[in-house]
Amino acid sequence: MLARLRVFFRFQESGLLLVILALGLLLTAFAGKVRTPVFERAADGTRSRVFTTDATGERIPLSVEKNKFLNAQNLAQLAKDTSFIAVMAVGMAVVIIAGGIDLTVGAIYALASVVGALVLHRYGAEGLATTSSSILGIFLGAGACLGVACLCGLFTGSLIVALGVHPFIITLGGMAIFRGIAFVITKGQSVGAFPAAFRDFVRFEIGDGLSFVPLMTMLVVLMVGWIFLSRLAAGRRVYAVGGNELAARFSGIRVERVKLGVYLISGLCAGIAALLSLGYYGAATSGDGQGYELNVIAAAVVGGASLTGGRGSALGVVLGALIIQMISSGIVILGIDQNYRQIIIGSVVIAAVVLDQLNTWLSRRRLSAAAH
Amino acid sequence: MSAYLEFRHVTKRFPGVLALDDVSFTVERGTCHALIGENGAGKSTLGKILAGVYTADSGQVLLQGRAIAPTSPLAARELGIAMVHQELAFCPNLSVAENLSLGDLPRRAGFIDRSALRSRARAMLATIGADINPDTIIGTLSTGREQLVQIAAAVGTGAQIIVMDEPTSSLSAAETADLFRLIRTLKARGLTLIYVSHRMEELFALCDHITVLRDGRHIATEPIPATQPARVVTQMIGRELRAHTPTHLVRDLGPVRLDVKNLTSGEAFANISLSVRAGEIVGLAGIVGAGRSELIQAIFGLDPEVSGQISIDNQKLSLGSIEHALAAGLGLVPEDRKRQGLILGLNCRENTALAALPLLTRLGFVRRNAERVLATTYTQRLRVKTPSLESLVAGLSGGNQQKIALAKWLARDCDVLLIDEPTRGVDIGAKAEIYQLLDELACEGKALLVVSSELPELIALCRRILVLRAGQIAGEVPRASFSEATLMQLMAGVPAAA
Repeated sequence: MLARLRVFFRFQESGLLLVILALGLLLTAFAGKVRTPVFERAADGTRSRVFTTDATGERIPLSVEKNKFLNAQNLAQLAKDTSFIAVMAVGMAVVIIAGGIDLTVGAIYALASVVGALVLHRYGAEGLATTSSSILGIFLGAGACLGVACLCGLFTGSLIVALGVHPFIITLGGMAIFRGIAFVITKGQSVGAFPAAFRDFVRFEIGDGLSFVPLMTMLVVLMVGWIFLSRLAAGRRVYAVGGNELAARFSGIRVERVKLGVYLISGLCAGIAALLSLGYYGAATSGDGQGYELNVIAAAVVGGASLTGGRGSALGVVLGALIIQMISSGIVILGIDQNYRQIIIGSVVIAAVVLDQLNTWLSRRRLSAAAH
Repeated sequence: MSAYLEFRHVTKRFPGVLALDDVSFTVERGTCHALIGENGAGKSTLGKILAGVYTADSGQVLLQGRAIAPTSPLAARELGIAMVHQELAFCPNLSVAENLSLGDLPRRAGFIDRSALRSRARAMLATIGADINPDTIIGTLSTGREQLVQIAAAVGTGAQIIVMDEPTSSLSAAETADLFRLIRTLKARGLTLIYVSHRMEELFALCDHITVLRDGRHIATEPIPATQPARVVTQMIGRELRAHTPTHLVRDLGPVRLDVKNLTSGEAFANISLSVRAGEIVGLAGIVGAGRSELIQAIFGLDPEVSGQISIDNQKLSLGSIEHALAAGLGLVPEDRKRQGLILGLNCRENTALAALPLLTRLGFVRRNAERVLATTYTQRLRVKTPSLESLVAGLSGGNQQKIALAKWLARDCDVLLIDEPTRGVDIGAKAEIYQLLDELACEGKALLVVSSELPELIALCRRILVLRAGQIAGEVPRASFSEATLMQLMAGVPAAA
């Protein structure tokens, strides 16, 4: 038993799991109760409220009392909210492990959204191409969204490699450029009216309002990211470049190719998140995803990715994203003033880094003890 | 009468290590006292306790009979004890004058008094006769001159005892000679020097007494004339070190494996032609800045500007491409293992497999079993001491790290190995193991080109030695004519004495 516990604690992400568990217990304990109406699902998939008839023959809506945090609907909401950030955070983790930083993800999310939206709109109810199949339109829209995101990633990646400038500067510029392009091509207008099949697919729910597609997408991205980082030679090279670029070069690793690749991956992940949001919200504007880059970096850092490079994992950052979302939603549930949200999230990020440093210091002490 | 400086039962414990274990000895005034020991023997720790960087857990340090226990470098300074560090003792972006007065900037009405600053620095530099402009930015000085500034800071503030930690580890031969001259002058003035090093020749040339530490324990303190290097080595490692005679020397050489013709790169080196045959170890000697590391890095494809011709096993190699060099069977063990050789944040298995990664990959996946087998094979062959293959290399000792840096290229199965400083910062036991390994590799028919600043190392290992001077090959010395004097003359460009 003790040995098994020790294995658990040596497991990198165990700390994060404990934090999630503790947060969950705290929120459940302090959330209080809420009365929610009961819905039923008809055979055609529509939801409607359930009524009972009381003694006087009047129909009254049926409701049940639930824990504000620990109920299926809230958890489903939490899962969906986490998905968007977590998908981007996996891409960010790859960049950060390679020793870089990517501030463009929020802007890529916006640009990919609006480009995808313009294509989808064309094939939607109000579009010019209503005669052609909407399935084709959905594929074209999704392709445009992901393609643009990849191109953006390639653009920043190649600038960073070619100019040898610190990625912070390049992606800071890229962030403004991409969002600017998104604004110019939409003239700041919201773009909507997509083929209904697309929205229906992404909003497809199972159980009590659990959006299946975003959650599955997140899990797939997590799995792919985890395999990439821990099992593929390409992932090993990412750790090597982030850990010591010069030694990686001296070992025959094509450092430029690795760097280009990680920004491409980050762009692609932002594109996937954009595609999910298109389906979920059914519209896009150039202002979408404002400030997402900071949330995503925060998730990656809380999840244990080291900004000095060479350290981090896909599972870690997804758990990091979950922690950030739990705190966000916890603030709503506990009825804390929304204006405190920023302050609390900021403090959590700093606390996570301090804890991480403490952990590094402890393990170094253990290391030096073991070496002698 | 009590001794000038006395260590009495000094003990210092770091988490998990007993760095110093009941160390007692005395130091005489006006002498240069050597502290020697393998890596981890505790010699630097002892120096740092004296200089107030660490405090002892138990025991006493007595200065002229009075117990002292400086709790900070500043407190030690006030007692007249200063330490000259290996690196980064100053702010590299500030001037010599500003650094010399950093703790106590002269002010007039709140503004820095620049003329007082400059004259104070000039006075300090004058005490050791150093010819350095006080307005120079520290970062632009060579390591040797930066050390002079450190010594000036110590002497100029009235230090009576100066602790020097491996002062010559990155100095050129000329700078080392200057430093030794200065140390002798300081000694003549009555200053006491504690000289921490593991370069035996230096200590015997310079010091009056030698204290040997091993595993934190005091082994011996003897006057230099009463001991010899072999005896000190035995004291350091606790056993007799058998002189290793390379067996590859008696074997027949194979065909030429590495052939370099007219290799030229900008200012670094020009018209270099050399060849190394299968089973041969060729040395590359030269002073710092002669272009040794630049040359072998260029052969490895790290220099995009290079021109000339390189052939491996009679196949022409396209220049300036590491991929082609790797494909042709070249490997490079770089000079600075922490900066260029290893990824400290990765573990032993990952570092060992790093260069061989393309050979361990199937459909993009790392074959984990093959990787483990490969890492196990080579860490065992090199006798790397590590708790497990999954331990980070950051936690290994210098010697074991160097072995991993070598294992990385053995795992890649290179035919031509370029090795830059194979044993820098490696203790004597590991050194002997590395020499034996290089010998074995040569016997297996590999071609080795070895760069080293330690001439005894090249003399022991190589079949012939090429001497580089200012980017040109100044001469080739066959084994029969090996001597430090011959090599030094070629390196420095002095005509042979009549």
